[in-house]
Amino acid sequence: MAIIREITTVASVAMPVAEAWRVKRCRYASEGTSAGRLCIATGIHGDEMMGQLVVFGVARRIMAQPEHLHGIVDIYPMLNPLGLDCGSRMVPSTAQLDMNRAFPGRPDGTALESVCWRVLEDMRGADLVLDIHASTQNKSELYEVRMNTPHAEELIRQARALCPELIWVYPDNNLYSGSLTGTLVELGTSALILEADERHRRPHEIAERVVEGIMCKMKDMGLWTGDCALTVPRDEDIPCIRTEEEICVITCEAPGVYVPLDHIGKRVEEGELLGMVIDALEGSVREEVHAPASGLVFSQRSYSAVYPGTLIARVKKEVQA
Amino acid sequence: MKKDILLTVPSYFRDDMNVMGYRFGKGEKSCVVLGALRGDEIQQLYVCARLVAYLREVEREGGIMPGKSVMVVPTVIGFSMNTGNRLWAPENMDINRRFPGDLQGETSERITGALFDRLKAYKYGVQLTSFYQPGSFIPHVRVMDTGRQNPELGCEFGLPYVYVRTPRNADLSTLNYTWQLAGTCAYSLYAGKTREIDENAAEQTLRAIIRFLNGRGIIRSDMTPGHSVTVISDADMISVSAGTAGLLRRVKFAGAHVRRGEQLAFVINPLDGAVKEVLKTPLTGTLFFVQDGPFITEHSPVFQVLGNTKA
Repeated sequence: MAIIREITTVASVAMPVAEAWRVKRCRYASEGTSAGRLCIATGIHGDEMMGQLVVFGVARRIMAQPEHLHGIVDIYPMLNPLGLDCGSRMVPSTAQLDMNRAFPGRPDGTALESVCWRVLEDMRGADLVLDIHASTQNKSELYEVRMNTPHAEELIRQARALCPELIWVYPDNNLYSGSLTGTLVELGTSALILEADERHRRPHEIAERVVEGIMCKMKDMGLWTGDCALTVPRDEDIPCIRTEEEICVITCEAPGVYVPLDHIGKRVEEGELLGMVIDALEGSVREEVHAPASGLVFSQRSYSAVYPGTLIARVKKEVQA
Repeated sequence: MKKDILLTVPSYFRDDMNVMGYRFGKGEKSCVVLGALRGDEIQQLYVCARLVAYLREVEREGGIMPGKSVMVVPTVIGFSMNTGNRLWAPENMDINRRFPGDLQGETSERITGALFDRLKAYKYGVQLTSFYQPGSFIPHVRVMDTGRQNPELGCEFGLPYVYVRTPRNADLSTLNYTWQLAGTCAYSLYAGKTREIDENAAEQTLRAIIRFLNGRGIIRSDMTPGHSVTVISDADMISVSAGTAGLLRRVKFAGAHVRRGEQLAFVINPLDGAVKEVLKTPLTGTLFFVQDGPFITEHSPVFQVLGNTKA
């Protein structure tokens, strides 16, 4: 059975000098009955490239076995193409605005608001929207699925089939207001954030893990009957952070250069050394950073300059029996 | 005048970053004026520097009222000013999206947390802010509509308008919004330019702050009377946006009175000079905002016209 592959521009804003900011979507649609619609977006932050490799991998898998697609997969690889081109997290302009704080936007608003509005309208009504992010500068992350507190239990159920290494429910505070996924959920469309490490030496391995997770989710949704290496894990097989009490955020107190030990994805004991802040001028160690609790290290600062308050690691604490 | 270090961010490669507060008078924490929250808010820094110099003279002449105090915070992220970054560079974060902050959190949250602890104790809060749309406005005071706003008091600045603005999602973690929730009467003052010094606008903003401090009985200082003030909201304005992109040639500027159908600007093809679009006003009124960059992007608001939108 053939599939339809169609590239569409869902939002377009003319730039001053012979160019347009276009948000493009590639739709893969099976003929006949559809089991649903999955949207996969990435590139909302221009300094996060991992999503390119992930959606490339998903597209290749669909094209390799097109007869096994039973619905619609919409891929939006470049929501912030100008930012991706410059490696800029924000939308490049004098105001440097974060596109992921500008939703829902407005049809008659600024260029950014108008793009956000059109993207949102295009995704609304999908069975699920995935927004792929990557670890920010100088930080490593596990393959995580994140979501906001409202409707968390339903979203956790949906997230499981993505086979992440961790599920994290964000606290419901204003810091994440205006995000793509938060706004979609408010409007009644299920949406999840996928976070993947970008600083890894072998990005294709990380991407492949995420691709396998997405294929498993597609299978779970009835969208895919082709090859899939993973099966939906049991609840107890995926660490899940539901409340702030389950997470230990570790910051440093001394400024300097942070030298980490490699703990990402590993269990640490309470008191175990995570890394140290060094002073090259005086040849001294300014601070040793230790784990305040036992658990799984799922975020880790890489070798870089730090200030008091710089995030060093996040640990999912072990629940006492 | 007392110079306080409100907070310090120790640094390894650079000097420590001290956030300074300049205090005048003793007693009730009456009013705090905050200048630059971003690294490119040069005009806001300049107005505060002028205000500190002015209040020093007022204090010398005994013009700070007994039992009242005022504090001026010229800048928060001096580090970013010195390196030409609008944001807090180590985290690539907009400080004005990190309120109320967290003393145990990440560096930007510690900065806003420590700052907010000092700011929220004041009865009145005045922020000299840059707006995300680059352009010229009619001088005005902005108040966020939180349900706790007090626009009538904003009239005491004596600027022509007090604009009550409906907050958007991205505004919920700003200083102005958080300040109001904490019980401070918070106002944002339009200070003219951002990345460069505009002497006339600085003078006008300075006079407005002094007028407010006089009006609230915090200082006593001779000052010219202000304008008669109109309280406006989003419902009183219509936006004129560009339907295309290119070079923008304006023929009308902020403050101009315009009649319905009058030409406001031309969008010109930047390569061949052809006029792509003529922007006209859909109603008779006053130009409240004019985008002042040389380029315009499609869908971008170029003008906001203040008038009878229901006519």
